[in-house]
Amino acid sequence: MTASPLRTATAGGACALGVRDLSVNFGGLQAVAGVGFDAAAGRITSVIGPNGAGKSTLFNLISGAIRPTGGRVTLDGADVTGRSPDRLLAAGLARSFQITNLFFELPVLENLRIAAQVLERPWHALRPVGHSRRALAKADALLERFGLSAKARELAGNLSHGEQRRLEIAVALAAEPRVLLLDEPTQGMSHGDTADTGALIRSLAGDLTVLLIEHDIGLVMSLSDHVVVMAQGRKIAEGPPAVVRADPAVQAAYFGHR
Amino acid sequence: MPEATLRTVSDPGRAGPASRSSRLAPVHWLALIFLAAALGFAAVAWATGNGFYLRLATEALIFAGLAMSVDLLLGYTGLLSLGQALYFGLGAYVSALVLRDVAPSFWLAMAAALLAGGVAGLIGGVIANRVKGVYFALITFGLAQVAAKTVYNTRALGASDGLIGIPQIQVGFGPFSLDTADPLSFFLLVLGLTVVAYAGLSYLMDAPFGRTLAAIRANEKRVPFLGFNAWRYKLAVYVLAACVAALAGALYPMLRGFVSPELMFFETSGNAVITVIVGGVGTLVGPVVGSLLLTALRSVVGSWTEHHLIVVGVIFMLSVIFLRKGLVGALLARLSRRGEQGRATP
Repeated sequence: MTASPLRTATAGGACALGVRDLSVNFGGLQAVAGVGFDAAAGRITSVIGPNGAGKSTLFNLISGAIRPTGGRVTLDGADVTGRSPDRLLAAGLARSFQITNLFFELPVLENLRIAAQVLERPWHALRPVGHSRRALAKADALLERFGLSAKARELAGNLSHGEQRRLEIAVALAAEPRVLLLDEPTQGMSHGDTADTGALIRSLAGDLTVLLIEHDIGLVMSLSDHVVVMAQGRKIAEGPPAVVRADPAVQAAYFGHR
Repeated sequence: MPEATLRTVSDPGRAGPASRSSRLAPVHWLALIFLAAALGFAAVAWATGNGFYLRLATEALIFAGLAMSVDLLLGYTGLLSLGQALYFGLGAYVSALVLRDVAPSFWLAMAAALLAGGVAGLIGGVIANRVKGVYFALITFGLAQVAAKTVYNTRALGASDGLIGIPQIQVGFGPFSLDTADPLSFFLLVLGLTVVAYAGLSYLMDAPFGRTLAAIRANEKRVPFLGFNAWRYKLAVYVLAACVAALAGALYPMLRGFVSPELMFFETSGNAVITVIVGGVGTLVGPVVGSLLLTALRSVVGSWTEHHLIVVGVIFMLSVIFLRKGLVGALLARLSRRGEQGRATP
């Protein structure tokens, strides 16, 4: 817990992930329109907003899944706008998915080993798997940390929903990214699992810059150093949790649409 | 125990990534048993002086090489190629031309076929990998049709007659040499090459390279977010498969003394896919078993009736319905289920 509540994101650490005036059109529909914010290094920045606000599209733009029609994304100051996901991962940006996106027909350990393989030199791809020691050690460490050791040989498709959600985060962490995008990590989780996942995300920050989409407002307010509020593709507010919660525009957009 | 069944069926043969023991995987045991049977067959055929069956078995192994190349794409990467005969036929024609017009050298013919297969695979792969799924299958089909029709209409390549009069050659290994005209020698050579191909490709498919292909087959969309360029991997395996098919094709004129445009036709590509599915996808030994089975069947049934394709078609359908993982897949699933029961009841 390196982030103190007094040193908020914009006031504190350097900008790890910069988003400037980011926009995309889907056939005339402005899904994301001129959104900009800074995610401070080692902090948790959350993006909230009602359904259809463009949060997931924003993630897709930042992570290279969709090419923006305007604006810029910077990683530690370097322009990475429009880079493919694999090149972004090499630059230190990883993401998880709202809808669990694993290799369901492969074992749990293999899901993690594949995700950690980028830690190895390229020629290890042609050597026996046992030579990829770093990747295997990383996979083992993540199994341990996410309480999946007993399920290592199980197919990912045979895990429970909660376990799959945990594996989803673990897979995103395997490449040792510097910036981690988590798209609704607690989606469909029980209350107990949600609290555990919150604690886990909290423990990730510090080493890691976290950008989080989350529907559980209680969790967002307790976890985040900085909150960005979106509605209808635009940013309508940002700031520390307490400030954002008190913002009348946020209350109107967020609760008015319910 | 539906979960246990699912697990054994999904990846029966490959050593699990968690099992870092050096124990031989069941699929490799099957391959060894198969090799022993092939050597036994060779001994019997040699003792009885039966060259016909040796040459038939050699042909089956050559087409097994083509089927293995289909398995790399279909079984490991999830790419259905309906035009793999393009590279097989290319290897056959290049080999025939080298042997007839350049020099009667086995190694030169193989090297030329490998080079041609690699270059053509790169070009074909760049074109076919622009699209996915059904469209990939259609593009590979189209590429092979274009190549086959081009060869069919090129007089310098013998047009519809193909190339005939390919000389029989001596294959040199340092101080030793063997004659392709001798059925037993050539069978053993092709068997040796099949073993090398099986071992090398199995190794590669179990290395992180091959496992990334399995990840692409399982969920291609996630792969780029883990730092891999899926397009490059798919291109690499496509070129690899083209090289394997071309090398297999290069052996064909050495066996038969001729090549014809039929080698590139859809029937050849389609048969290779059927062979892989009947034998067992994603096992590499399955294509070899399937090729021997179907070749034997064609020969036996073909001696009764010329409509042997009907029989092959029925077997294909039965296999798809009742043996989803093919013969080898079903066998491996059975073995590992028995193994699990054995462990459960000490």
